[in-house]
Amino acid sequence: MTQLFTRRDFLKITGATATAVAAGGLLPASVAKAARDAGLIDPNGDGYIPSLCEMCVWRCGLLAKVRNGRVVKLEGNPDNPHSTGKLCARGQSGLMNTYDPDRVLYPLIRVGPRGGGQFRRATWEEALDLVAQNMLAIKEKHGAEAMIFSSTHNLSQVQFENLLNGYGSPNYGTQRSLCFNAMVVAFSLTYGVEEPSRDYTNVKYVILVGRNLMEAISTSETRQLTAAVARGAKLIVLDPRFTKTAAKATEWIPIRPGTDAAFLLAMINVIATEKLGDCDFVSRYVNGCQELPQVMAEYTPEWAESKCGVPADTIRRIAREFAADRPDAMIHPGWRTSNFINSFQTERAIATLNAVVGNVLTSNGCLVALNPEASGVKLGKPPQPAYPRVTALRLDGVPWKYPLVPLKLGIFQNIRDAILTGQPYQARGWFIARQNPMLSLPDRRKTAEAFGKLDFIVDVDIIMNDTAWYADVVLPEASYLERYDPLNALAGKIWLRQPVIEPQGEAKSALWIYKQLGERLGLGDYFQYADEEDYLRQQLAPTGITLDELKLRGWADPPKEEKVEEDLKFNTASGKIEVYSQTLANAGFSGWPAWEEPPAPAADQFYLLTGKVGQHTQMGTQNNKLLNQVFKFQGLWMHPSEAAKRGINQNDKIRVKSEVGEVVTTAYVTQAIRPDCVYLTPGFGHLSKGLRVAYGNGASDSDLHVTYTDPISGGQALSQTFVTVEKA
Amino acid sequence: MSHEYIPLSLRKKLFNKEIKKHNLANILTHWFNVLSWLLLLPTGLGILASPRLGLVPEVWLDATRQMFGGTANLIKFHYSVGLLWMFVLTFNIFIGFRKYFVSFAGERMLLDKDDIEWLKVKPLQMMGLLKGKTLPPQDAYNAGQKAYSYVVILGTFFIGLTGVIMTFSKYIPWKWLVQWSLPVHFSAVGAVFAGVIIHIYMGAAFPEERSAFFSMFTGKVNALYARLHHYKWYQRKLQEEDDWEERVLAEGRELRTKEHAAEAAGD
Amino acid sequence: MATNTKKRYGFVIDVSRCIDCRACLVSCKVENSVPEDHTRIWVRDLGVEGEFPNLKQTFVPYNCMHCEEPPCVDVCTSGATYKDPENGLIQIDQEACIGCGLCLPACPYNVRYLNPETGKADKCNGCIQRVEQGLQPACVQTCVGDARTFGDLNDLNSDVSIALKNAKSVQRLATDDVDTGPNIYYINGDVMQASLLPREPSYASAETFWRKVAVPAVVAGVGLSFLGQAVFFAKQLVDGEKDFEE
Repeated sequence: MTQLFTRRDFLKITGATATAVAAGGLLPASVAKAARDAGLIDPNGDGYIPSLCEMCVWRCGLLAKVRNGRVVKLEGNPDNPHSTGKLCARGQSGLMNTYDPDRVLYPLIRVGPRGGGQFRRATWEEALDLVAQNMLAIKEKHGAEAMIFSSTHNLSQVQFENLLNGYGSPNYGTQRSLCFNAMVVAFSLTYGVEEPSRDYTNVKYVILVGRNLMEAISTSETRQLTAAVARGAKLIVLDPRFTKTAAKATEWIPIRPGTDAAFLLAMINVIATEKLGDCDFVSRYVNGCQELPQVMAEYTPEWAESKCGVPADTIRRIAREFAADRPDAMIHPGWRTSNFINSFQTERAIATLNAVVGNVLTSNGCLVALNPEASGVKLGKPPQPAYPRVTALRLDGVPWKYPLVPLKLGIFQNIRDAILTGQPYQARGWFIARQNPMLSLPDRRKTAEAFGKLDFIVDVDIIMNDTAWYADVVLPEASYLERYDPLNALAGKIWLRQPVIEPQGEAKSALWIYKQLGERLGLGDYFQYADEEDYLRQQLAPTGITLDELKLRGWADPPKEEKVEEDLKFNTASGKIEVYSQTLANAGFSGWPAWEEPPAPAADQFYLLTGKVGQHTQMGTQNNKLLNQVFKFQGLWMHPSEAAKRGINQNDKIRVKSEVGEVVTTAYVTQAIRPDCVYLTPGFGHLSKGLRVAYGNGASDSDLHVTYTDPISGGQALSQTFVTVEKA
Repeated sequence: MSHEYIPLSLRKKLFNKEIKKHNLANILTHWFNVLSWLLLLPTGLGILASPRLGLVPEVWLDATRQMFGGTANLIKFHYSVGLLWMFVLTFNIFIGFRKYFVSFAGERMLLDKDDIEWLKVKPLQMMGLLKGKTLPPQDAYNAGQKAYSYVVILGTFFIGLTGVIMTFSKYIPWKWLVQWSLPVHFSAVGAVFAGVIIHIYMGAAFPEERSAFFSMFTGKVNALYARLHHYKWYQRKLQEEDDWEERVLAEGRELRTKEHAAEAAGD
Repeated sequence: MATNTKKRYGFVIDVSRCIDCRACLVSCKVENSVPEDHTRIWVRDLGVEGEFPNLKQTFVPYNCMHCEEPPCVDVCTSGATYKDPENGLIQIDQEACIGCGLCLPACPYNVRYLNPETGKADKCNGCIQRVEQGLQPACVQTCVGDARTFGDLNDLNSDVSIALKNAKSVQRLATDDVDTGPNIYYINGDVMQASLLPREPSYASAETFWRKVAVPAVVAGVGLSFLGQAVFFAKQLVDGEKDFEE
């Protein structure tokens, strides 16, 4: 398809040239100085500035159209492999994220009770001093470990971790255990990479286990999958709900929740027994495959049918079809895999299946198991002293209770629980950045209770989210269109996030905030950069690329280490793909992918499913007016037969109860879900009155979710919550 | 004309005498209206480009757009002149010349028995019937002119009201009001224009009304015309003149009396 | 109506590729400053069809059809709405629009709205401000599934022509009763559903009154008046002037 819109075109259109720099004196003061200096903006203050989206973790490259110091339109950057010139609904709505009238633009200090939403405006001086004072007090009285640091992974994470490690606390919370852990731990153990990248160029057969790519949009990947289906690739979707991805599938399999592993193990059984795999590949690069037929013997399709409800013939057929298209057949590794405790085994089965059909290669093939570090991009960083030694145990039980969970992932929900139990010690403070645990953690009542127990809570956010509402100090971060962040490496290139407008109010970048706070905590040596641009220059130092040229294009191609083409070697203990994992066995778990029976709801209960919509990102976008105009909260999805049994009609008020809480919402009666399941779109039901659009809109499933943690990967099991539904 | 016989000497005397019929306000307003209509009617028609309505020939649609440099400018011109027209009329009637207008309205606009009778006879006479019948005497304006004035006043009111509604349609929340303003504006213009055609012919071309035509410039009609066509008004004017003469004579007598008295006292 | 335009800009929508992500809706809204409760484009969800587990769901992107014979142009009071002779797009000259709103019900596809801020009629303009700069319309540029394409249907090498050539099926939202010559082509999916098919153009009662009652009445009245006076004038000329009149 011809892309009329290329980088060269837009430069031509705006006439942005070096001579525009000379006219900088004529520009309005409000125009971002950086872009002006880079010559990206013409004398009228109009132009396109390249940067990176932050409306979700995919971080598409974007081009921000600026006029008179305001962003007026966002476009995907055609040069960026995650965008390929497109932005999804959330990316397109990014203007409202920055210009949301409910933005927090000044530091706020709580007055009145916690959670009362009463704040007074403070200067940065006062706010930062207060935060440092409290954090130092906690460190002195209770030890650094009494301070929790949590942040959802983002580009400034490296400096967040710097603060955490410099301060000396082991308690690092990320959102990973609410999302990725099962996938990451399974693939780390099996392939040696956290997440193999996917190549749809030649794929003929794709199986998605959940992974609602048409709604949990990762722009370029969603685009590639759509293209693959359009050119004839078969798409099989295993999902208890008829999602939009299922609507585009060749075959939708409404599998019983929690039983994906049975289906997949039976597939392994068929392929191994009927010898349909890539024998050559398997013997060279995969260990444990000789034993597979015996190990998987019990997982027959008939057995699987009794577990997952899918006819044995179907399972058998799909296994054969999948193998027949090898190596151009792929089972997607998954994304949010926090469904059941046995999701870990599901992921292990997926990894195994991909391996036995030989589609996992390091440079070619559907799944690319390259170690991200092996992309060869070497960035610099400011000098800093070594971190203090930390001896305290982590509150989340890693690794002392959970030996296989990587430290960088952690178990977020355990931190919250530890605040309540006070075991192994009482946490006193919480530093939260770019994260909304008040709404994202399961069992909201518990989270509110945990917040209540702490001495001090500080939150870095751009808007008065629920977590900020419950904080003691809110530090306003500049939005992604208003700030620099550390460089992003993607596909062997480095990508820049730069401000396209001046930050509004007194909002500041995380780089600035962490440095300011660090200095007040006596950690100035860990933040040896004068400002954001200095930090970036230090990152760029080994590459020979200047910040100015990076600003102009938004990306650069740094010289990379010459990769020695060696025989395929995976980053595992044996150097091969480990279908059988000794590491797992040593830790006392099954070394083979194995079946673990999931819990099932009682007769009058439903599985409470969660998922995504293409117009929102988790808990963060519900205040965005533009997105609210294109998506309306639907209420609880329910099958007509079950609704009829309870006398419930479309839009009726209903009460949904779990063992930890209840919500009142409306019914959305639909054929598009298994009768034994209900579904609620997450992220709604905000408590913060500071979100004037989101407040009071919809209900939150975090009020219902029971906290379950997988002992192997530490992942949450969000669909193991069972609920009753009745008319309200 | 069917009216009472007037002897020759009187006719000649009356023909050479003039009576003031229209004050300056009247005259200016009249010609201001004429100018406004000359600007508004052609441009208004030029705006009506709807093929479905199919009313105005394309040559005129193109010409007006050419003249003003596009539809937008044509419309702006039309409503600007329209608003000005409305403003001036409103000002004249209610503020500027209120003193004139109120008496004007009372004296010249209401229909009486003679008017009704006239309306029954005159149209037939114009078609050549009832030649012998005497027309009832008319006031400053004959019944036909009074009827016309109703059409004009009512029509102008609705033209202006609907014009304002359409110009400021952005602020009108009831879109049905804006939409109905279109045919109402059009119909009111049409009704008044139909009347204007008669008015122009009667005023400018019809031989009997020649004196009236020039009165729209000079303000005066000749007394013979007045006696023949607007007898009741003429009588009133004569009376006024007599009264005036009386007043002047009385003033003179008073003055002379005063002078005599002063003289006598001065001795 | 003018159908002989130099270019014939139109859309081709690959129905099989639309995933209802609604990026196009947001992109259009921002690009064209569309007011809050209105939209220039839609993704019509035909709903979940069938019974569990044999289900189907189709998403149909939808906007102004830039018709060959647009009823909106036909009814526009001031001629503000017109079909661009250069490229066939239906445009609204905002300054020439008087906000009468007669065009809204006239559109068989209901794609027009009155902008509450300006009082004028508005709709998809084919992002002509972008197309003139060599860019794609905002919805097409950002379409994640590559369902939307735009281009010159008269040009055999354009995206749209190529898409039509390779299509497995081609439909337009038109019926035997209502065919205004829409220039959005739907490929690789069935969109001929009652909820999407166009309705007859409809007209405000004020317009019908205007056309059927007021115009004939005024024409008749003015005509009669003119005729009447013309007769008298002719008679006057025939009778000749009298030198001694009153």
